[in-house]
Amino acid sequence: MSRLILPILALALGLAGCTRAPELDVEIDISHVVGSEPLRLDDAIYRNAAGEDFSVSRLRYYLSLPRLRRADGSWFAPLHPAESAEAYHLVDEARADSRRLRIAGVPAGEYTGVEFLVGVDEARNHAGAQTGALDPARGMFWTWKSGYIFLVLEGKSPQSPAPGGRFSYHLGGGEPSLARRVYLPFGERPVRVEERLRPTVHLAVDVGALLSAVNPVRIAQLPEAMDPVSARPLADNAAAMFRVDHLHHEPRRRGGG
Amino acid sequence: MRRRALALLPLLLVLLLAANGVLRQRLADFVESFPTPRAAVPAGWPAPQYDFSGNPVTASGFELGRRLFHDPRLSLDGSISCASCHQQFAAFAHLDHRVSHGLHGANGTRNAPALFNLAWQPALMWDGAIHNLELQPLAPLANPVEMGETLEGVLVKLRADAGYRRRFEAAFGPGEIDSRRVLLALTQFIGTLRSADSRYDRGELSAREREGLALFRRHCATCHREPLFTDYSYRGNGLDADSADAGRGAISGKAAERGRFKVPSLRNVAVTAPYMHDGRFDTLSQVLRHYASGIRDSAALDPALRGGLALGPEQQQALVAFLETLTDEAFLQDARYAEPLP
Ligand code: HEC
Ligand code: HEC
Repeated sequence: MSRLILPILALALGLAGCTRAPELDVEIDISHVVGSEPLRLDDAIYRNAAGEDFSVSRLRYYLSLPRLRRADGSWFAPLHPAESAEAYHLVDEARADSRRLRIAGVPAGEYTGVEFLVGVDEARNHAGAQTGALDPARGMFWTWKSGYIFLVLEGKSPQSPAPGGRFSYHLGGGEPSLARRVYLPFGERPVRVEERLRPTVHLAVDVGALLSAVNPVRIAQLPEAMDPVSARPLADNAAAMFRVDHLHHEPRRRGGG
Repeated sequence: MRRRALALLPLLLVLLLAANGVLRQRLADFVESFPTPRAAVPAGWPAPQYDFSGNPVTASGFELGRRLFHDPRLSLDGSISCASCHQQFAAFAHLDHRVSHGLHGANGTRNAPALFNLAWQPALMWDGAIHNLELQPLAPLANPVEMGETLEGVLVKLRADAGYRRRFEAAFGPGEIDSRRVLLALTQFIGTLRSADSRYDRGELSAREREGLALFRRHCATCHREPLFTDYSYRGNGLDADSADAGRGAISGKAAERGRFKVPSLRNVAVTAPYMHDGRFDTLSQVLRHYASGIRDSAALDPALRGGLALGPEQQQALVAFLETLTDEAFLQDARYAEPLP
């Protein structure tokens, strides 16, 4: 028994020591756009590269396993308990708070870019019942064929031959997987993480690019893509819809914030 | 430490006896919260695929799973439980029902399989669409033509029920009822439905049944491999020249796998009629006639069955006699799996 006490004490002190150091973080803010216009659900009408009019009723996707790249090319990835879903973030245009995420526990330093997985990695995609962003009750899980839906885009278009002029794209699964790694360089100016400054990275995510960036799709020809084969062209587009719009450094107030 | 706990035992017992309803219930819950050996592996069997270490089976968790399995309130209109389609006397298959109404929406033409030894299955469903036992219950729950509920809807009902709230806390500790707990509890029940006590297992076979076993090992065991009576591969056994159901092909996207299905276990097969993924055969004799003279050629057909198996009527009957020794009466009547008292 007494042989255990010292290591436990040491560990406890060590942990206490760690928590006393200020928690530095990087915030990522997401705005959805269609080309140069902001995205508004349901009522705004946009035009895609193929000249089709469309509106968007639902936009949801996973941004997973974020990591930051240091100027020397090495990476920082936050560590999470094995069971937790903290490294998985579900962005939902209908929920403003979901368009903001925090990479916590970032060591002070300069970072030149951020990387995400758009979707869910194979290990978690095939794991058992999960919680948090990966809770199947969040409606992003295919029940008839297990696996997560990585990205949902739904809307209407007069050009769609489907009932109600609807179109629905559900991306997920696939061999190889439709999940895509996306690296976004911050550009000229690095992100500085230090005790005084709280950096925010503003991403602009272009729904127009989702329809046209790499493989242009026509809603008239593809009103529905619900399986990995028909959704594959969209997965390449999804990887191309992200860009860093601008960076922000603000004074960090004491006690978090 | 341990000794001190033991010293407390008489006190606990006195409390248990003296306690009134609520306290007694809590104490019983406490006693039930220890792991039980339900997930044990029969001698000579391979290790299971499902890892119970992440979901240790406790008496309270198993009991909760059993209750959920038999509870029709899990369906949208309160009329259908898991047990409606998976009946214990039929080894948890659906007696007399060729197909259950559309489990997969588009593919609504499948026979409800028997449920036992599920922890050994690398993937679930006739086509292996589901990779993890914990996620299996999501399919029937959310299917509009099965139970028609949403996970959210089920959670609302369970959270509103004081009995369930108590049972969930007994099984998983304090905290809200969430989808993970529902799925883990159901898994503790369906994952420990174990059938390993047939006459075949006990080696009590007559001469004729042993003859059937020898034929079985020659003609059938490559796919229906002992001791689980399946190798869990996806194969074509010559049912159709052009399968109406894409089967494994829909999952893998490979044309040659169209019409291939998971090799089913044959344990308890005498009580799980009708047979095959679409329930097309009513009797084992029909199944044997199929293997002897009904095999249809297709890209999906397994080479082992090309041209059919050379089995005369005598041999077919011996095979049926052997298959009947795979019935595990103790499993079919095990009261621990039956509908719980309200
Ligand atoms: C309306 C009938 C019906 C109901 C209700 C139902 N099932 Fe099923 N079940 C089926 C059918 C049909 C299949 C096979 C589907 C397939 O392979 O596509 C199946 C397959 C399964 C399997 C896979 C077995 C294997 O060997 O691959 C499990 C496990 C299962 N069901 C458990 C449950 C649970 C748990 C519930 C309740 C939450 C439930 N079922 C409710 C009809 C039903
Ligand atoms: C090449 C592999 C293979 C061989 C050999 C084989 N089977 Fe099968 N068996 C299957 C497959 C695959 C299925 C499921 C087919 C389906 O439903 O589409 C099946 C289904 C069955 C079923 C129906 C079980 C149920 O629950 O619906 C029985 C009974 C059966 N086989 C018995 C036998 C017997 C007896 C033999 C030997 C005479 C045999 N099988 C040989 C692959 C095989």
